[in-house]
Amino acid sequence: MLTRRTLLIASLATAALLSPFGRSGRAFAQSTDQAAAFINQTGQALIGIVNGPGSAADKRVQLQQIVDRDVDVDAVARFCLGRFWRGATPDQQQQYTKLFHQVLLNNITGKLGDYKGVTFVLGRTQPGEGGVTVDTTVTRPGSAPTDVQWVVGTATGAPKIVDVVAEGTSLRLTQRSDYASYLSHNNDSVQALLAAMRRQVSNAG
Amino acid sequence: MQALRTPGLMLAAVIGIMTLAGCATPPPANDPDAVADFNQTNDPLEPTNRVFYAINNGIDAVILRPLAVGYTYAVPQVVRTGVHNALNNLGSPVLLANDIFQTKPHRAGDTLMRFVINSTVGVAGFFDVASDWGYPYHDNDFGITMALWGVPEGPFLYLPILGPSDPRDATGFGADIALDPLTWIGQGSTVADLGYVRYGLTAVDTRAGLLNVLDNVKATALDPYATFRSLYRQHRQSVIDQVRNDNTATQPDWFPHPASH
Repeated sequence: MLTRRTLLIASLATAALLSPFGRSGRAFAQSTDQAAAFINQTGQALIGIVNGPGSAADKRVQLQQIVDRDVDVDAVARFCLGRFWRGATPDQQQQYTKLFHQVLLNNITGKLGDYKGVTFVLGRTQPGEGGVTVDTTVTRPGSAPTDVQWVVGTATGAPKIVDVVAEGTSLRLTQRSDYASYLSHNNDSVQALLAAMRRQVSNAG
Repeated sequence: MQALRTPGLMLAAVIGIMTLAGCATPPPANDPDAVADFNQTNDPLEPTNRVFYAINNGIDAVILRPLAVGYTYAVPQVVRTGVHNALNNLGSPVLLANDIFQTKPHRAGDTLMRFVINSTVGVAGFFDVASDWGYPYHDNDFGITMALWGVPEGPFLYLPILGPSDPRDATGFGADIALDPLTWIGQGSTVADLGYVRYGLTAVDTRAGLLNVLDNVKATALDPYATFRSLYRQHRQSVIDQVRNDNTATQPDWFPHPASH
């Protein structure tokens, strides 16, 4: 009886002690593996589009599907507006997020031509502050290999890209400083930023 | 000597103009968010910097960019890569000095081996044989060295011709020219002319490598100046971190490794 109870307590204690570590260890491995697999899949899909046949318009539609599915655009948009997000009205926030989706897609499609014949290999994966960071090395014909890091967040429940860091430069940080500077030279007016973004979208046609 | 004097004079002139010219107005103290932004941006000379940015853009639009576009169009990729390699090879002594100043023996070894291999087997540096032989290229300069020594970056600077910089990197640029044996070797107009050819080729090669990046930023940024400022700083910081964290051991392969027994 005593032995059995001791055993029971011991096993419970062990379970209690080990399980958090065990679980977090497993979750840790799972989340990094999952992020790496996710980036591999997204990367292959992107390369398939860039190197594949089809007109620019076709490719844009295909890209939009991938961006909508694999990028947490709403979170990136919020991040890029920084402290001005809080000051914006709900209506401005909504307009801004909608415009940001279009601007982001235009920027990505604008870079498409540069990436013909691109290949990539997965590198190290590690958990970080804003999500799991997946390192890749991107190779293009005629240029030196580029280190690109992908930050994968799971705020929406599924893995989604929240940032791309190319050669140490973060896409969302750069975009945020662009908007911050524009706002500071336009009386911190979110309305002015929205107007500028609208012009960008209409210019890109 | 001549090569040293020109950028040196130019830097002195720039610093003189900058101290005379206007400064950015800080936001009112009762707006802590704006003050935090202002301090983080760390660009007190922004109005002056923007003037130089506009001037550089003008020069770039009529001279440097057309040259780079023409170069990319007229010269085959193989030759451009060769020129790029040769220019990198000429920079090896400066790289080596900085590798040593940074006490990175493995990187210094890479640079030395690259210089020996590429200058000979690589035909005056035109072919990067060393990379295939396991001695990869890395960039380095005295700005990075000073960063590792703990010298602070200082406020953002946008310099004529040179573009985005900061006091640390501008000083580093001058120091690298002084460190370069090619600055001091030789006399006469032929050597001086070759020096200018090298600087000219470096400018065109660098600009050609940035064609897509710069065009993209100018096409997509609402404030290209601020975007370049952010890109420059992030990129420099990442390069500095990369050098700082590169502590590859110099133990050669033939040395008995305890683990292998």
